[in-house]
Amino acid sequence: MKPFLLKWFQTMQVSWSNLMVYKLNFFLQIIGPMLVFFFIKLSLWSSIYGGYDYVKIGGYTLSEMLSYHLWVMIAGMIIMSSTASNLSEDIRLGKISSYLIYPFSFWEFHAAKYLARQVIQIIIALITIISCYFLLDRLYIAFEPVSLAIGFFVALLAGYYWFAANYLIGILAFWLDETWTIMVGLQIMTYFFSGAIIPLELFPETMVEILYWTPFPYISFVPAKILMGHIPPLLPVIGILSFWSLFITLISYLVWRKGLSLYTAAGM
Amino acid sequence: MVKHIFSRIKHYLSVYQGIVITNFIESMNFRLHFFLLILMDLLFYISALASIHIIYNHVETIGVWNREQLLFFVAFMLGINQLTMTFVSEAYWRFPELIRTGDLDFILLKPIGAVFSVFFRYLRPGSMLNMIFTWGVIIYYGLILNLSVFDWCALPFLLVLGFLLQNAIEMVISCSMFWMLEGSGVNFVRMELQQLARWPDFIYNKIVSRILMTILPILLIGSAPIRFLFNANDWLPFLGMGLAILLFWGVLRFVWQLGLASYESASS
Amino acid sequence: MIFSEGLNKNFKIYRKPPGFLQSLKSLFYREYHEKQAVDSFDIHIPKGKIVGLLGPNGAGKTTLMKMFTGIIIPSSGSLKVLGYTPSKRERAFRKKIALVMGHKSQLWWDLPAMDSFNLLQRYYEISNADFKQRVDELSDLLNVTHILNIHVRKLSLGERMKVELMSSLLHKPEVIFLDEPTIGLDLIAQKNIRDFLIQYHKKTGSTILITSHYMADIDALCSELILIINGSKRFDGSIKQFENLLGSEKIVNFSFSKPIENENGVWQQFKAHWNHDNTQVELSIPEKQMREVSQKILSEYPVCDFNTDKMPIERVMKTLLENPELAGPYR
Repeated sequence: MKPFLLKWFQTMQVSWSNLMVYKLNFFLQIIGPMLVFFFIKLSLWSSIYGGYDYVKIGGYTLSEMLSYHLWVMIAGMIIMSSTASNLSEDIRLGKISSYLIYPFSFWEFHAAKYLARQVIQIIIALITIISCYFLLDRLYIAFEPVSLAIGFFVALLAGYYWFAANYLIGILAFWLDETWTIMVGLQIMTYFFSGAIIPLELFPETMVEILYWTPFPYISFVPAKILMGHIPPLLPVIGILSFWSLFITLISYLVWRKGLSLYTAAGM
Repeated sequence: MVKHIFSRIKHYLSVYQGIVITNFIESMNFRLHFFLLILMDLLFYISALASIHIIYNHVETIGVWNREQLLFFVAFMLGINQLTMTFVSEAYWRFPELIRTGDLDFILLKPIGAVFSVFFRYLRPGSMLNMIFTWGVIIYYGLILNLSVFDWCALPFLLVLGFLLQNAIEMVISCSMFWMLEGSGVNFVRMELQQLARWPDFIYNKIVSRILMTILPILLIGSAPIRFLFNANDWLPFLGMGLAILLFWGVLRFVWQLGLASYESASS
Repeated sequence: MIFSEGLNKNFKIYRKPPGFLQSLKSLFYREYHEKQAVDSFDIHIPKGKIVGLLGPNGAGKTTLMKMFTGIIIPSSGSLKVLGYTPSKRERAFRKKIALVMGHKSQLWWDLPAMDSFNLLQRYYEISNADFKQRVDELSDLLNVTHILNIHVRKLSLGERMKVELMSSLLHKPEVIFLDEPTIGLDLIAQKNIRDFLIQYHKKTGSTILITSHYMADIDALCSELILIINGSKRFDGSIKQFENLLGSEKIVNFSFSKPIENENGVWQQFKAHWNHDNTQVELSIPEKQMREVSQKILSEYPVCDFNTDKMPIERVMKTLLENPELAGPYR
């Protein structure tokens, strides 16, 4: 058991080192976009509300709307960390031959990298929450330990789902020359349907009802609402999210098997 | 002198014709990618427009613009995006690779301007087709807004100006890759700037708005021409845009030479 | 043709020790030292020669080539190629030079070579007539006519190198820089490239500067060579002079049909190196005494085979690589 865990830990260490070397890139690729996106929403919604806090849109006052987007950003730190991973390149360039020889599978390798990123992202999220707590008006940030705990849990689960979805698209590289188009396409759809741009209360009701069966709302909207203190019935949330995570993981396993047999047959 | 300029232009056109042909032939090798690119862009355009639609289901105006005005503005920005995706986008992502692998050497050896060779070398024929969609939307909202004949004639010209300004700024920023260990992070900065520019200047607070219309004039890309189109008295930002285009293309020449001087060309 | 005086180039090299804590530290502070890649280099290569540029890895050969072609700007010193200052990168200059790098390719990977050539025709503004003539001529000489319409990624390494070479010569460059053109190729492919270059040079009289780690290339192609070690020039002269750089002794190998006793002083005199069972010996014999000594050994000992060094420059190069100080500074 111990050597097995050691492999995971060492892979994580190397990941951390890599992140540090390309430190500027880490900031530009992961932290930067998050901040800019939040800033745009902040500006947009302030402008829409005309700066008046008594106006209600979709049931939100301005401070509630801004609070929502702040929590979407914090949840995003934990959930969307897999966006930058690049495993399809390994397959395209034939690098996975080494993985086939290492006593550490391709999936394990990338899962370990994901955990490494996740640890850093959790730390960043916690630092952000604490800074906001001290720097911002109570109007914008509630601090209820129970909501935070449950929110973190749901966020971690959603984070795993996002990792699994990106992993699946990544291994499609067995068949496709470039998978980044699909990844970006998924990101675009996710940003739209997950409530990252606009809270789902503003969407047409029928659309939202259907969306609740898809994984989308659980990536931004649901975790943000929980962290804000509005906890919905948890069983369906965890149930649907777990279902999608397991489903995608299973499909990934089958796709990997199929792809590998093609790969080794072609003798790339 | 005139003859000299004329023969230079002929040379560039001839080379560009060759570039178009080679890109077309090459893209036929990757048909799925060809379609996925088109699809990805369409998803983006639709989600951008749909988001605004949904917001306007709850409010009458955002800042000073109504639904059709803002949608027209966003369509205009998407039109610029379509041009960018077709003519230059791929080149920006390849540029850090060119520097890192030292393949920039081959470009520097050719008897033609290196900036042209670097940034216009890759054309996406598929993305060209999206012009149908973007122009369709621009025309649709333009018709609703009752644009004058003069407005319609000016529109393509304004689009090209927006394209020129955006890329002058982005190319200048990309020159920073000459000094970075791993330059691809800069491409994310470009993405963020594009996001910021996709909203009208009045949603941002005074300070940011000022900076983004002078020092880093990305808001002049869309807000300047559209404001001028809606109201001919609002010509100041548009004048600023013209000046910014000249300024940034000049800065580009200068910074590019600096960058080349420090280019150390991955040895052997 | 190529003329430089006091040419220098320094690079900054950054250090980053391994480990997580060091990585964290490097967030704030990076230490670097300066490396002198090229040091006070004087060079004069006249028109029409094929000159070899030799030296160990990291000696500065590629840096020099890139300065000659205008890709890297020298730190100081003067440099003129074909009368132009390369770092100014004038268009007329670029039309007259070519650089072929053995590790890299300028051809589009997913297209047949011919498509890349068509694009190059436009870059170099080659007329249709000239272009057709060049393509026919070169593909004939290189024997690649049948592969011009195959995707470059599907070609073998040897074929790729040939079309790569061809692509660089379409515009009739006056000076050709070759940076390890035969690297990684099998023996036949290497020979083909060499033969082609000899023929091409005969036909066109272009000036060629070639770096290579394969002494066979240098031996076959070059009339002169320049040795560079740690960025400075250590030798500049003919092949013959290079062969005699470490003395005019010839290396001769003798194989005997039975073990020989080697206490006899005659062996020591010629720096004998014996194999483990004394059936083979390698002697360093001064050129003047070659005949006399060889005849003596042949008559007195049961020799079953002997040969002289086929490529004396390879031996000299090997010795210099192991003991760079033997090259001495270039006078």
